[in-house]
Amino acid sequence: MIATRSPIVQLGIRAASPIALVVAVFLFFAGHNRPGGGFSAGLVLGAVVALRTVAGMSRPIRAVPLLTAGGLLAGAVAFLPMLWGDPLLDQVVVERSIPVLGAVKTGTALAFDAGVTMIVVGLVVAVLDGLGADDLATGPDGGR
Amino acid sequence: MIGLLLALHLATCGLLAATGRELGRHGLLVAALPPSITTAWALTRIGADEPATATLGWVPGLDLELAFRVDGLALVMTLLVSGIGALVFLYAWGYFGSSAVGVGPFATALIAFSTAMLGLVWSDSVWSLFVFWELTSITSFLLIGHKHADAEVRAAARRALLITAAGGLVLLAGLVVLVDETGVSRLGEMGPISGGGAALVSILLMVAAATKSAQVPFHVWLPGAMAAPTPVSAYLHSATMVKAGVLLVAVGSPILADVAVWTSLGLIFGFGSMLWGAVGALRHRDAKLILAWGTISQLGLMIALLSIGSAKATFAAVSILFAHALFKAALFMVVGEVDVRTGTRDIGELSGLWRTMPLAFGVAVVSAASMAGIPPLLGFPAKEAAIEAVLGLTGAEAWLVGGGVVLGSILTVAYTARFVLGVFGPGPEPTPVHPPRPAMTAPSALLAMLSLAGFVAIGAVNPIVGPASVRIDPQAEVYDLLRWPGVTTAFLVSLAVVGSGLAAGLAAHRLGSGAPDPIGARSVDALIDGVVVGARRLTGRVQHGSLPVYMATMGATVAVVAAPFAWSIDGADIYRWDSPAQAVLAGLMLAAAAVAAVLTTRLGAALGLGAVGIGVAGLFVIQGAPDLALTQLLVETVVVVGFVIGLGHLTRRFPAVGQQWQAVRLVVAAAAAIGVAVALAGSGSSPVGQPPLEALTTQAVEDGGGNNIVNVILTDTRGLDTLGEIVVLVVVAIGVLALAASARPREAS
Repeated sequence: MIATRSPIVQLGIRAASPIALVVAVFLFFAGHNRPGGGFSAGLVLGAVVALRTVAGMSRPIRAVPLLTAGGLLAGAVAFLPMLWGDPLLDQVVVERSIPVLGAVKTGTALAFDAGVTMIVVGLVVAVLDGLGADDLATGPDGGR
Repeated sequence: MIGLLLALHLATCGLLAATGRELGRHGLLVAALPPSITTAWALTRIGADEPATATLGWVPGLDLELAFRVDGLALVMTLLVSGIGALVFLYAWGYFGSSAVGVGPFATALIAFSTAMLGLVWSDSVWSLFVFWELTSITSFLLIGHKHADAEVRAAARRALLITAAGGLVLLAGLVVLVDETGVSRLGEMGPISGGGAALVSILLMVAAATKSAQVPFHVWLPGAMAAPTPVSAYLHSATMVKAGVLLVAVGSPILADVAVWTSLGLIFGFGSMLWGAVGALRHRDAKLILAWGTISQLGLMIALLSIGSAKATFAAVSILFAHALFKAALFMVVGEVDVRTGTRDIGELSGLWRTMPLAFGVAVVSAASMAGIPPLLGFPAKEAAIEAVLGLTGAEAWLVGGGVVLGSILTVAYTARFVLGVFGPGPEPTPVHPPRPAMTAPSALLAMLSLAGFVAIGAVNPIVGPASVRIDPQAEVYDLLRWPGVTTAFLVSLAVVGSGLAAGLAAHRLGSGAPDPIGARSVDALIDGVVVGARRLTGRVQHGSLPVYMATMGATVAVVAAPFAWSIDGADIYRWDSPAQAVLAGLMLAAAAVAAVLTTRLGAALGLGAVGIGVAGLFVIQGAPDLALTQLLVETVVVVGFVIGLGHLTRRFPAVGQQWQAVRLVVAAAAAIGVAVALAGSGSSPVGQPPLEALTTQAVEDGGGNNIVNVILTDTRGLDTLGEIVVLVVVAIGVLALAASARPREAS
């Protein structure tokens, strides 16, 4: 079903990848006040990985390290406050004025969201692996 | 001190678990150390005015704590658990030859049991009681299954675990109701309760006690447990673990004594087991099984006496509990020695041992006489107390209970006589005997001497059993064990019991018998096997592996579940649209769905589904939910790309489907679709109050500090939900990876 490795598709995906990355980063940070967020960002990144897989291009990431890192990050944000006697998932908000960017507000919620992003990307990669993406990426005939 | 002793036990556990293989059987000597120290400490506590206590916080918010309290009753149990424990470790060191394998793990499990049992008898909080109760069940399972290469041993261990662990669950249920009824979780602080709740607690606790103390009809696991090495039988299955049920009845008595069902259930279990156990002991030929059935019988007597509720009976029960541990552990040790030195335990094959194993014979005679209640041994005053207690009853109860105790005692004397004659008596040809093992003889001889010393120095036993009975019933203070009661009615009854028992025992010995079928154990095993086979069959039927059938099942279920919603649809709530653009989108989606259903190529169908999903995203935009639209769009994109990758492995077109099956699929799909539509319409018609928009907005903006309410809810105000969801995602990913990994080798081959 899958088309042979078309250079045009590959070039298009290669060109679109950085843009999609920027979009993902934007969505990730915009999520606090506007549509977006860690989940959407993860999906955009996942789509990039999926497209690269379809086109038979190398995939820069693996599922297990991503899932581990994301789980540990989100878990740490969730459970670390308990060490100081605060409730589970207690948030710390930091507000600073930084040159160029102006007033910047951030907090541990951001780290939690980053964990969500990693897990979503990890899940997409895991499903791609499960569907046999490895064969597509490295197979001799590059797809049937 | 309590915490220190438990820590010492735990440390020994850890040490043996780490070095058990190198130490081998010498690990047993290391393991004997903590029980010895505990025994020494317990001996210094005799006569202490205040119980020793210790509390360890666990989950303070849930009122969970590990609370320990060593009162008179716990002290008796401590002496048995640690005192006999230390001797058993020494005995086991002799029991296992230097070539025995797997002794390291055995020593670890045995000291782990010792720890759990101490925790159990010291527990004041019901929650620690439950935890240690279950731990003893698990360690008992490991010890019974020591020779796990044998299928029959495995079956016995499984049977024991299932029955005692199921009893543990019943105990947990009973304790939950008990705490609810009394309002406190410390056993020592509970007052008497009555009413319907109390009756429920009585039934649950009594059943739990019956499973642990091997009372009829839950007794079937105990004879099977004799598959364990004899040190285990001497320790767990006679002196300590099976006493846990008796202990539960003892600590339950002050709380539930006024509940009728507590007393009657206890008497039924007690007398039923006392008589049936004695009959079993008379029927079996394996010396260990005779003792095991005797244990069932004796435990029944203790539970029956405790259930009567009179102070005298309680005192008698505690005395028998103490005496029983001494003589029964010694008898098991003797049987183990006979087994090791002759290679058999069948009383039909053993003969002439009274001549060839004189020391073991002496120990057996002394201990058996104590079991039969013959002076000058500790069993005598204990049994006298029991007979006096039932003689003190009045009315129908006196006849029933008295008759039961007397009949049980006669049978006890009978199987005791049969046991001694069978194992040591003369026969046609003396059984050949291996050289003696002093490490096995010494502990049993010491226990036999204690049975004797307990009678001679009865003044030293009274301060042990006295406070224990007072803990259960304060009125028991006035009673003492008497060395020589004089020629009372009870003494005459005793005399008659011993006389007729000896006669019956001799007759049974002459008669001889084949080993009876373990009917109860068979049916329990059949039940377990049936469940396993049935589960496998059911799984095979349900998890048949056909994806279309799974889908059809799910669709049909949706249709059925959604049907009730049809009644909650309010016609007035249904209107055409919010904006005409919705109609356009709906039309497009319907068309895409129809295309997906009709197309015969897989990729076409996948793209059709993707179009439907994008249409849904459009609907979200019209409704003013950009967040949802964005997510839907992204999900749809990734899913379509996933389809493309997945379809690479499949045929281009769908396989042909038979007409009937096609019809079924159509009907189910239509029904599911109508079901979902109905459910949505129905739920839209029945709003439950006003949506808490205001509160959510303020919370998000002020607490979370963000204007995107959805995201603030996800990461902050309802962060716990998100945490749960990402856990699900991770689990799904692991599942997918595992599936892929399991499929790969098959593809490769």
